[in-house]
Amino acid sequence: MERRKFIRNLGLGAAATIGVPYLLPSGRLFASTGVRKANHVVFCLFAGGVRNLESVHKIDGNLMPYSFKGNENISSDIISGIDLVPPNTGITLQEQGTLYKEFRMKYGPTGHYGAHATAMTGVYTGENLNINTNPQYPTIFELYRKHNSPGMSAKNAWWVSNSLGPYAHLNYSSYEGYGADYGANFIQPGSIISQDGFDSLGNSRVYNNTEEDKIKALRGFCDAHFTSQYNGAANSIVNTEADKKEIESFINQCFTDAVAGQFDDPWGIGQGLYNNDMRTVQFAEKVIQEFNPELLVVNMQGVDVAHDDFTEYASNLQKADYALGHLWNTIQNTPGMADDTILIAMPEHGRNSEGNGLYDAYGRQALDHTNDEMSREIFALVLGPNGVVVQDQVFSQEKGESIDIVPTIANILGFDADIPGGLLSGNVLNESFY
Amino acid sequence: MKKVIFILSVLILFSCKKEKKISYALNDVNISQNSANKDHLKSTTEFISIAYSDIFGTVITTDKLADLSTMYKAFGDKKLIEEMVIKNFLNEPTIQIPQIDRTSEITIQNFVTDSYKKLFNRTPDEYELWFVTDMIQKDADLTSELIYLSLMTANEYRYY
Repeated sequence: MERRKFIRNLGLGAAATIGVPYLLPSGRLFASTGVRKANHVVFCLFAGGVRNLESVHKIDGNLMPYSFKGNENISSDIISGIDLVPPNTGITLQEQGTLYKEFRMKYGPTGHYGAHATAMTGVYTGENLNINTNPQYPTIFELYRKHNSPGMSAKNAWWVSNSLGPYAHLNYSSYEGYGADYGANFIQPGSIISQDGFDSLGNSRVYNNTEEDKIKALRGFCDAHFTSQYNGAANSIVNTEADKKEIESFINQCFTDAVAGQFDDPWGIGQGLYNNDMRTVQFAEKVIQEFNPELLVVNMQGVDVAHDDFTEYASNLQKADYALGHLWNTIQNTPGMADDTILIAMPEHGRNSEGNGLYDAYGRQALDHTNDEMSREIFALVLGPNGVVVQDQVFSQEKGESIDIVPTIANILGFDADIPGGLLSGNVLNESFY
Repeated sequence: MKKVIFILSVLILFSCKKEKKISYALNDVNISQNSANKDHLKSTTEFISIAYSDIFGTVITTDKLADLSTMYKAFGDKKLIEEMVIKNFLNEPTIQIPQIDRTSEITIQNFVTDSYKKLFNRTPDEYELWFVTDMIQKDADLTSELIYLSLMTANEYRYY
């Protein structure tokens, strides 16, 4: 070949290689357009209804010493009613990221489920919210699994909830084009990793590979022969066969560990101190250590005891704070997640400014949350590696809304630009990042 | 000339033969899929209580049903939790599932038919009967437990 012709052909070949779009394994033409800020996001819904007065404004002292700076003493009239957690001897969370002291849940009823749905879909809910079905708009899990490229399996997306009821529906929506195919693995550990759970599910026979192959072959034959509308995902998220095996083995290992006492006092703080929030976060930590998920949402709601008992609310607030600190510490000590994870924490809504007339043993009035202005006031914390998340930054003026979390997570994971226009109206919390 | 006529006559006489009527010994079979009209999804409690009865031959207690229903709701991948529930049932010493009588093809077919009737609430069609019987005949290690697990974790078992 002539030298001139060879060079021309080489140039054309190179141009074609660059110019022709790639067809990704997910079937998409292009990869997500955005650049990732981190490869993992953990969103902790510090929920149950936390008033800014008791959290960031510390009206009863610093009840959240793991999250916020300050040595203000807890009010003397309630201190004896509080189950004190070990003191924080290290750096606070706010110093490792950006704190929004005056975040808002601007619209919609300040009810737990609706506010959870708002935080996890990025869309405010209305009064006609149906708590018996999946949310109306795509959850962050579906947005992630549909728009992230390459597409990730459900093993990368987890929703760890402290309770059942409507919260089990938050792993996927009923929105057309999204739904269970893009949902997250949901688990409410309190109902499974227990003595009852072990008694009912902890005695599973383990089949060898040959037996598994036989089961798969016969089941596959039956499924191929079944022509009804069921497609396996009609009412459930679906894990791949390999992921299913891993998850089953993980749950079985948790049963074994729990029976061996490893769940009794996993944080070494005394077995009597744990509440459901701490147990839920501890299980989320197990998921983090086992699967290194790209997206995990975990919630706590122990502070909702405030409807009946203010002092117990204050006590559970500092337990939730301890759990949040422990969660961040676990992330930083988990290979694959350390220095590559952004943690966002936010209550779903606040509580009313006025008490409801019920007094606890310490003379404090209980608090409801019925759409008054204070019940819309919340905080938000964005924590992450130095150089990615702005460290020790505080916004004391009103800034940010609960619908901003979903676009912010999408931005961190680099797929926000791929979400169809009009689906989200919140903003990315850009000021949190360098 | 006479010779030619004779030869032609002989050829005509022996070259044409009346066609024999052959009828092949095939019976008509039903090839419609008799699972097609199942479109009612079992509820969680129906699934668990039916599975318990199918395996233990008795009714599940209210407490156990409540416990298992809660666990079922607490897990997002329903196929996985269903599989775990069945696997745990099958590992109990008190299970009441029939063993396969491998004496003859007929006895194996009887097991397959009975299993389909019990678990899918219908008889297997000819192809299903042949396929599963053939699997059992070819594999001495294919136990009734493995067959029950396969059928009870199949999509059809979720419906009635």
